[in-house]
Amino acid sequence: MSLLELKNVSKIYGDLKALDNVSLHVDQGEWVAIMGPSGSGKSTMMNIIGCMDKPTSGEVLLDGVDISRESSKKLTDIRRDKIGLIFQQFHMVNYLTAVENVMVSQYYHSMPDEKEALEALGRVGLRERARHLPSQLSGGEQQRVCVARALINHPELILADEPTGNLDEANENIVLDLFAQLHKEGTTLIVVTHDPEVADAAQRTIVLEHGKVAREVINENFGK
Amino acid sequence: MTKRRMFLRMITASLLRRRSRMLIALLSIGIGATILAGLVTIYVDVPRQMGAQFRSYGANMLLLPREGAVLNSESLSEALRQIPADQLVGAAPYRYVRLDMTTRQQSFTAAGTDFTQIVKTSPYFSVEGAYPAETRQVLVGKAIADTIGVKPGSTMELTYQPVSGAADKTPEESRVPGARLSGKVEGFGGGMVYVSAVLDDEARLLSVTVDASTQTPEYGGRVPEDEAFLRQFTGKSLPLTLGGGIDALTGATVTSSAVVDALNSATETAAAARPRTMNFTVTGILTTGGEEEGYVFLSLPDMEAMTGTDQLDVAELSVSAGADRLEAYAGAVSENCENVQARLVKRVARSEASVLEKLTALVFLVTLVVLLLTMICVSTTMMAVVSERRREIGLRKALGASDSSIRAEFLGEGLFLGLLGGVMGAVLGFVFAQVVSVNVFGSSITFQPLLLPAAVIVSMAIAAASCLLPIKHAVAIDPAVVLKGE
Ligand SMILES: Nc1ncnc2c1ncn2[C@@H]1O[C@H](COP(=O)(O)OP(=O)(O)OP(=O)(O)O)[C@@H](O)[C@H]1O
Ligand SMILES: [Mg+2]
Repeated sequence: MSLLELKNVSKIYGDLKALDNVSLHVDQGEWVAIMGPSGSGKSTMMNIIGCMDKPTSGEVLLDGVDISRESSKKLTDIRRDKIGLIFQQFHMVNYLTAVENVMVSQYYHSMPDEKEALEALGRVGLRERARHLPSQLSGGEQQRVCVARALINHPELILADEPTGNLDEANENIVLDLFAQLHKEGTTLIVVTHDPEVADAAQRTIVLEHGKVAREVINENFGK
Repeated sequence: MTKRRMFLRMITASLLRRRSRMLIALLSIGIGATILAGLVTIYVDVPRQMGAQFRSYGANMLLLPREGAVLNSESLSEALRQIPADQLVGAAPYRYVRLDMTTRQQSFTAAGTDFTQIVKTSPYFSVEGAYPAETRQVLVGKAIADTIGVKPGSTMELTYQPVSGAADKTPEESRVPGARLSGKVEGFGGGMVYVSAVLDDEARLLSVTVDASTQTPEYGGRVPEDEAFLRQFTGKSLPLTLGGGIDALTGATVTSSAVVDALNSATETAAAARPRTMNFTVTGILTTGGEEEGYVFLSLPDMEAMTGTDQLDVAELSVSAGADRLEAYAGAVSENCENVQARLVKRVARSEASVLEKLTALVFLVTLVVLLLTMICVSTTMMAVVSERRREIGLRKALGASDSSIRAEFLGEGLFLGLLGGVMGAVLGFVFAQVVSVNVFGSSITFQPLLLPAAVIVSMAIAAASCLLPIKHAVAIDPAVVLKGE
């Protein structure tokens, strides 16, 4: 079953085509990696899928809804209800503790629940560091908090833009293991990465070049 | 955890954990609220303060005797009953007479008064030394003190000369007790009998002269020529009684009795008219910058002892009331007291009102300026806060915060700042007002309980208004742009 479908999506800045007539299809529960050189339009695409930006032309169907035509208020609702975001620069509210940062996501989604938030932190191995401020956490720990925050509301789709770009090997593996778990639970994952290892963990890799889909690679070894 | 608790947790964390920036916003609100609360406190208290200030420039009501009536301590206290005791600051009675300082051939205006009241009605009186506390003590005006050279501790001899034209007499004459007597009494048939007598130093009669021309020539009319009758008086002391050392002239009993009565009454008059001299100790020198510096002040009991009467010329009142009330009290005195009339000292009462008006305008203007400055300051700080937190705002939006959530959070922070600033302002403002009041007006003020909620509400309103523009900017932040790299 298709969760996401891009039909001839273009994003044009002046005379620069950040996305050029991209068509793409992601099934429910699929784990997709997106690769491509810098400036190829990966983040642009993620922003559009993540309901933070609109394409210049084309259709983007998320759960059958064309999000390219929605008002920004409606987009906020969709993003909140369906999407979990993970960024390369592990953005956190710097004056809130780890658990509070997770609870912020709950707060906007439904109801803050400290117990549940602590459990989510436990899942990323940070149960003990829940009361620490971001400045007291390492980069890897911060990114794991962001992962916990992204999964707390059980989104259908997790969008990660270079989640391991600033992580060491050990933290990268922790994050990838979490993705694998989420994938098993049925969450759809789209992960932008420069790292072939991270891409290899996914079922399918889409390569962008100059705003176009250059090729798609199915990972034969997935799950092995 | 409820959404509301999370909301409060977020905004308090934002204020408490990001102290330095928020401290500036808090300080600007707090200082603004302090100045406003202080001004308002002073302003509320100012009518009272100004009243006290103006009263210190002199009395604002005078009580005077009515035509043909007498003002004395009795009729004065009766009139004072027309004014509520808690509004009557003081009432200083005055009796003015001329006193001679015979040793220096000088004469001054002397005022008999109540020094405990002068302190209240004329607080601007400045005394070197002390106010008299007992009888036989005087306060001397600076001008007099300079001319005659007295200091606190000096003594001076003052003489009261009751007879009009007393000043024409030589001191020698004045000091002989009752040198001459003259009197008249109704004799037989309604006609007047005039008597005059000369006394020696021991106040014994030397000679008596009678004019009985109105009396029947064969009877009373003989009295002036009857040597034997007249000789009886020589060497006698007054008062006399007919039959007690003085025998009536046969056939002229009524006229003889009239002569004795006339002599007796003349002595009484003479006693009252006799100059009185008393010694005083100077306790203080008075400086006022006004005519009072040319007066000698003594206590009312001393004044009464010297003049033989408790009459007063005027009482100066200091009443703590506005112009309208003052007029009402004056009216009540004029209506209810038969001996006393009240008059307002108009100049002071009026200027009090006009200065208050100007002050109102000034306070209003300063309030406006302070409000504006506070708003600019808070608004600028909040703008800086918003641009400082662009990424955080973008993140919140990416996590699903709606525009109204962002608005609520910033407004919440602003209102929380306003609350803290308002409490701070109310407390510090009161301290500020107290300091100003004590230093400028010389009196303390009471805390107005309403000040706290008022300061809090006003500063919360200011904070909220100052947040409007920053919030607009916060809402306009695009999460995609903010989160993309950097
Ligand atoms: N807001 C914008 N205005 C103008 N040009 C933009 C804007 N956002 C992106 N671009 C341009 O669009 C192109 C695609 O940008 P994008 O951020 O999607 O690249 P990317 O594939 O994510 O690169 P990287 O791997 O470096 O993150 C780039 O050339 C970029 O300069
Ligand atoms: Mg990118």
